[in-house]
Amino acid sequence: MLNGRAKILLIILCMVGILIGISGISVASSIVRYNSDWPVLIDPAVAIWCQGQTAVVNLYDALVITDTESNIISHVAKSWDVSSDGLTFTFYLRPGIKFHDGSELTAEDVKFSMDRLLTMGQGFAFIWSGKIQETEVVDKYTVVFHMKNTFGPLLSTLPSFFIVNKDLVMANIKKPGIYGDMGDYGEEYVSSYDVGSGAYMIKEYKRAEHLLMEKNPNYFLDISSAPDEFKMIGSSEPALLKTLMARRELEMTNRWLTSETLESLAKIEGVEIARWLFSNMDYICMNTKKPPLDDVHVRKALAWAFDYDMAVKLTAGSVQARGPVPLTVPGSDPNCFQYHRDLERAKMELKQSKYYGHFDEYPIECVWAVNIFKQKQSMLLMANAAEIGLTVNVKESAWTFLASLCASIETTPHLYPVTSSAYYPDALPLLQRYHSIRSGTIDSGEWLLDPVLDKMIEDAACIVNENERYAEYTKITRYIIDLCPTIFLAETPDSRAYQAAYIDWPVTKGEVIPSYKYDNCIRFIKVYPEKREELLKK
Amino acid sequence: MFIIKRLGYLVFVLWGLSILIFVISRAIPGDPARMAVGPKASEEVVQRLRIAMHYDKAIYVQYYYWFEDMLHGDLGLSIVTKHPVLEDIRQVFPATFELAIFAFIFLILVGIPMGIISARYNNTWVDNLGRLLSYLGVVTPPYVFAIMGMLIFCYILKVLPAMGRLSPGLIYPPKITGLITIDALIQGNFIVFVDALKHLILPAVSLGLLGMATDARITRSSIYDNMGKDYIVAVQSYGIPERVIMFRDLLKPSIIAVVSMIGLEFGSILSHAFLVELIFNWPGFARYGMTAVMYTDLNAISGVVLILGAVFAISNIIVDLIVDFLDPRIHLIKERSE
Repeated sequence: MLNGRAKILLIILCMVGILIGISGISVASSIVRYNSDWPVLIDPAVAIWCQGQTAVVNLYDALVITDTESNIISHVAKSWDVSSDGLTFTFYLRPGIKFHDGSELTAEDVKFSMDRLLTMGQGFAFIWSGKIQETEVVDKYTVVFHMKNTFGPLLSTLPSFFIVNKDLVMANIKKPGIYGDMGDYGEEYVSSYDVGSGAYMIKEYKRAEHLLMEKNPNYFLDISSAPDEFKMIGSSEPALLKTLMARRELEMTNRWLTSETLESLAKIEGVEIARWLFSNMDYICMNTKKPPLDDVHVRKALAWAFDYDMAVKLTAGSVQARGPVPLTVPGSDPNCFQYHRDLERAKMELKQSKYYGHFDEYPIECVWAVNIFKQKQSMLLMANAAEIGLTVNVKESAWTFLASLCASIETTPHLYPVTSSAYYPDALPLLQRYHSIRSGTIDSGEWLLDPVLDKMIEDAACIVNENERYAEYTKITRYIIDLCPTIFLAETPDSRAYQAAYIDWPVTKGEVIPSYKYDNCIRFIKVYPEKREELLKK
Repeated sequence: MFIIKRLGYLVFVLWGLSILIFVISRAIPGDPARMAVGPKASEEVVQRLRIAMHYDKAIYVQYYYWFEDMLHGDLGLSIVTKHPVLEDIRQVFPATFELAIFAFIFLILVGIPMGIISARYNNTWVDNLGRLLSYLGVVTPPYVFAIMGMLIFCYILKVLPAMGRLSPGLIYPPKITGLITIDALIQGNFIVFVDALKHLILPAVSLGLLGMATDARITRSSIYDNMGKDYIVAVQSYGIPERVIMFRDLLKPSIIAVVSMIGLEFGSILSHAFLVELIFNWPGFARYGMTAVMYTDLNAISGVVLILGAVFAISNIIVDLIVDFLDPRIHLIKERSE
């Protein structure tokens, strides 16, 4: 007979055995799991950060999308016409496209989606706000956008406009709300439930844990080879990612991981790092209204002094930026002037400054936020500035605090590093950063407030002919470079770890769709579960 | 009478806390309305939200609106999730509560016996080992244990799940309490119960280690102090077996300090769970609170702190009741003073 202690030990051993032994839980054979930061905002009228956009491009459909060469191709709209004056865009929808609840997607849904987006004014509404005057339903499958003025890149912007199910949203509007008769415009409902027609539909949404989507069996395109499920996991904790990757419970990571984390993931068998230049640009904003940076010579001195080669080395796969628009973005200027490190020229610029000899009286502050790269860029600038006799004090800040500082000229720091990208495949959004209307936001802390530049940007935006518009972009680019409001550091790649051994991801082969977050469109990916099983057996 | 009096105090404490957190949350840098609608939204849109959320008004007016709504059971709308804060908390609180309960069970079941054994075998290798372990537990932050535990049990040995509350392929049991283990047991779903338990082991142990180590040290030193007392020497002289003395005469007076500590630990586990929740992708209350701070989600911040305050206060009342029961002297002192 066992004594008391032995019995307790036996019970504990049995419990441990049960805990370890019970398994056999099946998962979808073909699944892509992706790590995402939280919160994931899934309302297409609200989502603007990449985690929300990743969900939205899979849950919803756009009128048109772009191919890998930036050409606009049909999607929900099978064709379209543009009037000769460029003020009317008519879209002819494919009949038979079904929302996830089984109802048909019609022109009424397109109108409702655009009206809702513009009324709410959040997310990407700023792209079309003040430009689209009215959306008109001609018949069940024809919808017209009437423009206030011509807007050249309209078609390029539309892959970021997603269509919601009007009837389902209207049935779930909460009143009263801040949108008057429309109550909350379904904001609460759409933030939790799927009202789209996309290739994937929500299977389970556990906020702050995961968003699980399953393939839409009634999708209007052939997606038979696409993964059965897509899961967004709400964590970027390096130890967790490494564990999940090694256990083949994570197929791809997001783009916000440090190079150290990526390197450690790449050591796992079958895992590779995919890097591709997209439209991300690292730059240092200079507050052009704050002494001594209100003097263009001081700004140019910093631009000449900066060590671009070192900055490029900070992020693997990056290249030195050439002007305000990455060369991968249509409308960029490959021949524009590019600064390089030249301390003599930097010192010469300083000598021409009205502050020369008095720099001690004007302390320069550089504030960094968000991640370690920004800190490294700030420290590099501090070191480079010291080489030409300028003292730059580096400070850390919370992103929210920095954003609030950028609300006025007086509080915007002299310098701060930031990353931006084109929201659609055209140079305009990156040039519009310098328009006065954008001043006061964290992306646009230069405060140029230049009426001539504003007019140039507005005029260029109205040009429908692509070549003519790009020629204007070139003039704007050179005008901006001459004012030197920004130190253009590097075009940085999207860098992700992924299970190269068992997933086939087009972007890794250079097939990048240059529309915001379409690289996370899961229907383009293929998964080979049998190869995953082989890896697990090892 | 004691409970009614303490509950009365609780109302005042929570009221004071609500004012304090309301003022402090408004001092967090950043414009909450701007954060909610995105960096590119027009000023008109931002202003519309400010007006709707009363952010354009003086702070005492904002507080008045918030307090009035709170009295009606409405903690306002989260500008991040777009849901009522109370509904959000109802969703995330059970996950952290379940985690805290298991961490709590762990710290009691391991910490107190470890302290007893250390005291019983004081100044032997057993005691030294216990002291070393408890010292390590006190000086090592929970997230270090979490990461090490994950690397050992999930990455190398692959015997425990790495994240979440339930494995993929399993369906959450219909919500009764929100605690998966309890709900699964109520519905007789043994597979889900065991799976949820496996998911709880690492986060709960990581979270409970600090408290376990503290309790072990306090239990040991408290018992050790009492060992030399006259009444213990007296019972020893009667030849009463040592085990009986330990559990009948020594443990009860020695445990009072630990019980007082445990009350604070429960609230502390809830509020400190953030990093552990992040590491194990645990969809909990602490993480919700941290996201609220990062996004300047004022209503959510106020709601989270208020709930935490209530948990702290209630656990303290429970502890006072237990201490009152364990130590009759406290009860007598109160009676005399009344």
